[in-house]
Amino acid sequence: MTSPSSDAPDATPHGPNGDSPAGGYYGRGIPYLPIHGYPGKLIAIEGTDGVGRSTQIELLREWLEVKGYGVVETGWTRSRLMQPTIEIAKGSNTLNKLTFVLLYATDFADRLEKEIIPALKAGFVVLSDRYIFTALARAGVRGVDRQWLRNLYGFAIAPHMVFYLNIDVKTLITRVLESRGMDFWESGMDLKHGDDIYDSFRAYQNKLLREYSSMADEFQFRVVDARRPVNRIQDELRKQLSAFLEPAEKPADPVLTR
Amino acid sequence: MTFSLLHATDFADRLLYKVIPPLKAGMIVLADRYAYTAFARDVTRGVDRQWVRELYSFAVRPDLALYFRVPIDVSVDRLMARRVKLKFYEAGMDLGWSTNPLESFRLFQGKVLDEYDQIVPEFGMEVIDAKSSITEQQRLVRQVIAQHAQPQRMEITDDEPVV
Repeated sequence: MTSPSSDAPDATPHGPNGDSPAGGYYGRGIPYLPIHGYPGKLIAIEGTDGVGRSTQIELLREWLEVKGYGVVETGWTRSRLMQPTIEIAKGSNTLNKLTFVLLYATDFADRLEKEIIPALKAGFVVLSDRYIFTALARAGVRGVDRQWLRNLYGFAIAPHMVFYLNIDVKTLITRVLESRGMDFWESGMDLKHGDDIYDSFRAYQNKLLREYSSMADEFQFRVVDARRPVNRIQDELRKQLSAFLEPAEKPADPVLTR
Repeated sequence: MTFSLLHATDFADRLLYKVIPPLKAGMIVLADRYAYTAFARDVTRGVDRQWVRELYSFAVRPDLALYFRVPIDVSVDRLMARRVKLKFYEAGMDLGWSTNPLESFRLFQGKVLDEYDQIVPEFGMEVIDAKSSITEQQRLVRQVIAQHAQPQRMEITDDEPVV
């Protein structure tokens, strides 16, 4: 419900496409939380359900810590404020696409204010298991207005790097079935495409993957082929990450003693 | 931010379950507070003015929006007369402007009222002077509503045909 005679100078947030600087707010930001010149780095690892994000993050964390960086991890729906609420809401039958989106956004806002921004200000490397792109993809599949979503997440910080773990549905299906099996929400069963979880999973993940790749240019994804073995993917992530971190601010080298 | 987004979630839920269905059925929906409350309260808490307006762009624009305007002193007196304790968030205690609830309420709600002064012309709200007596206010409210809601013969399309 925007004003008919909107007096705002630039009603369209100066979007993710274009002049948004990595490390700054995407859109209108949080007016009471200025974030200029913090020393930390925000690295997002994106990709669909079961693509191997957490494995990669675990390995990255260990590697970074050995190199002397302070690392903080944050993940989708992990906020202390919102996690229980989201679980309850998912268990009830009252969620619709709008309240779903808004609950996720609340969770993200809580983690941004309480975890991500403080860690960045204290100079940590923040590894984010999923970022707003997951929310944008899920909501996009459910037909939520794209411009509204981008405005909603205008308070998010543009990560310094976004790694997108790319996979095809066929490989994904085998991988998910080999590990923990298909889950109601990850199969988009709420979209009621049918009772068959396999068909629903395939159709839903296909759509999700299309949403993710449609965002690749807009948000400068670094696309990583996630069909390869774990250590090959890890090598690529480390190579790109050190190229970014090392010249900028390498922590003092451990003193070599004889 | 989380305060603003949680309220928006609650609003969306009520909009979809409690507001839109009766509107579709041709009924009159009376909403005690609407998105304007969020515009005033969230901006006072430091959320971006334009962002919160766009956040609520999914809301139905009311056919008529009434704003009961009251000076902060009258508001405080009324609350003091019937309640012992001010609510934490209502008094804006979360902002840490004052440790005294009453003082905090005055500061916070004073700013909220300033914000409303901008919202009223922006969205063409009808102002009711809430300093006057309840009877007088109700007379005005009925007058304004009568102008907007002309009872019409409703067309009911989804009835089962009478056999």
